Amino acid sequence: MKEFKINAQNITPRELNRTIKKAAKDTDRIIIENPNAMHYMVAGLTESAEVVIDGSAGYFAGTMIHGAKVHINGNAGWFPGDNMTEGEVVIDGSAGDGVGQGIYGGTVVVRKDVGSRTGEIMKNGTIIVGGNSGFMSGLFMMGGRMIILGDISDDAGESIIRGTIYVGGEIKSLGKNAKIDELGEEEINELKELLESYNFHLEEEKFQSFRKIVPRSARPFYGQESEEGK
Amino acid sequence: MCGIAGVVFKDNDLHPVGRFMTRMLDALQHRGPDSAGFALYGGLGLREHEYLLNIEVKEKPGLLDEVKTKVDTAFPIESEEIIPSVENYIIYRCKVVLESFSQLKPLIMDVDKIDDVIVLNGAHSFEMIKDVGLVKDIAARYNTEDKIGTHAIGHTRFSTESIVDRYHAHPFQSYIIPDITVVHNGQITNYWKIRDPLERKGHIFETNNDTECIVHYIADKLSQNYSLEEALEQSVKDMDGPFSYIVGTPNGVGIAKDQLGLRPGVMAENDEVFAVASEEVALREVMDTSDIEQISPGESRAYTI
Repeated sequence: MKEFKINAQNITPRELNRTIKKAAKDTDRIIIENPNAMHYMVAGLTESAEVVIDGSAGYFAGTMIHGAKVHINGNAGWFPGDNMTEGEVVIDGSAGDGVGQGIYGGTVVVRKDVGSRTGEIMKNGTIIVGGNSGFMSGLFMMGGRMIILGDISDDAGESIIRGTIYVGGEIKSLGKNAKIDELGEEEINELKELLESYNFHLEEEKFQSFRKIVPRSARPFYGQESEEGK
Repeated sequence: MCGIAGVVFKDNDLHPVGRFMTRMLDALQHRGPDSAGFALYGGLGLREHEYLLNIEVKEKPGLLDEVKTKVDTAFPIESEEIIPSVENYIIYRCKVVLESFSQLKPLIMDVDKIDDVIVLNGAHSFEMIKDVGLVKDIAARYNTEDKIGTHAIGHTRFSTESIVDRYHAHPFQSYIIPDITVVHNGQITNYWKIRDPLERKGHIFETNNDTECIVHYIADKLSQNYSLEEALEQSVKDMDGPFSYIVGTPNGVGIAKDQLGLRPGVMAENDEVFAVASEEVALREVMDTSDIEQISPGESRAYTI
């Protein structure tokens, strides 16, 4: 395996991302040392390299990646994985607001708590949160799935149009157009497989406590008639 | 966008808060390049009734003498210092003894009547340092690295609606009760709704800056025996707009965030330190940040020593 190390101590985000993109063409694994919670790390990387951020990241870590696997050893700020289309952003610590904002595909994993508006306007892909998720998680969610192992705060699934939010803990309150449903056996098995693959080892009982938040209607704002039906 | 930070050392001993706050603010420099400021609490060592005035004076023949005479005639100057600043201004710093806190604001308003002179602040239990420019330049100009204290708040400013000058740099201070300061990121959109009742009560506004509105609001609540926690909690209910702000008092620091969570705020705490900031990058300058907490929408936190 070919590894490449970058010391981010005294370089700008632009210089860092340029170096990452160049190195990713013929390197399997890129390690960013001294990231010091810098913003915009690994922005727009379209190579399928593995990138390890050895510490915390600032805002928009892994924004718009397509295929890269980003592993953050520390925390992340706002909008990790923003608008990504394919690949993975795994955060060992906590993260700020807007985790996985607008993703089209791929997977964002945060092992601890996250801030507000997790998965807002996400279109597809998967977000897994090991802890709690804040206010208006799933705001205008348009597809994909979110799995929150802890509690979800007020107005969960506010104006959700499509997609599913699985919640293992308490649901404080629901947003407009959101409703709670029970999970089928097939869905539980799917969750088990997915969570195990990211090293979340849950007791069987915990899986039985999961509920899901789904849209009441696919057309809550513009009338009932649509080519997609009600 | 602005950067805000606050730190409290829980043992109530003196620590190099100037150095820590300088590093926190430098880490937040990208959030605002216009001006920066510090309120460093607990290290001034003033005796009862002693106050430190920071006065911006234009470099003009005879003007500094006029200021000194005005202050000294009202209250004898005990000591003084001149700090060079930029754009043909100096900061004249002097220590005076008042009979009571209620004499401070009238003294400031009297000195403010002199053309090309503005009293940046007057304080008993904290040192205010604020100026235009970058954190590192201001820190070098005012020797912040050597300042000691128990707790501090600070700010890097990206100006949106009011002018960029020393007076409009944060922290803002209220004189409703002694030594209350605020640093702020965001906007208060029901500004006049908050300001109007405070003015009707006789509180004096010197600017149209919404941060001044926050500091008077908090000081007014504290003057009515609200705790810092209660004042912050109530403020989040009363104020509209996207905001997060940090309050400094003679014995603590608190943070509040708007109900939609539209401005950032993070905190970290251990047995020794309570720290809050716009971003983790600032917290890292004072403590281990393996466990940081996001301040939730509508939430407030405070630590008093």
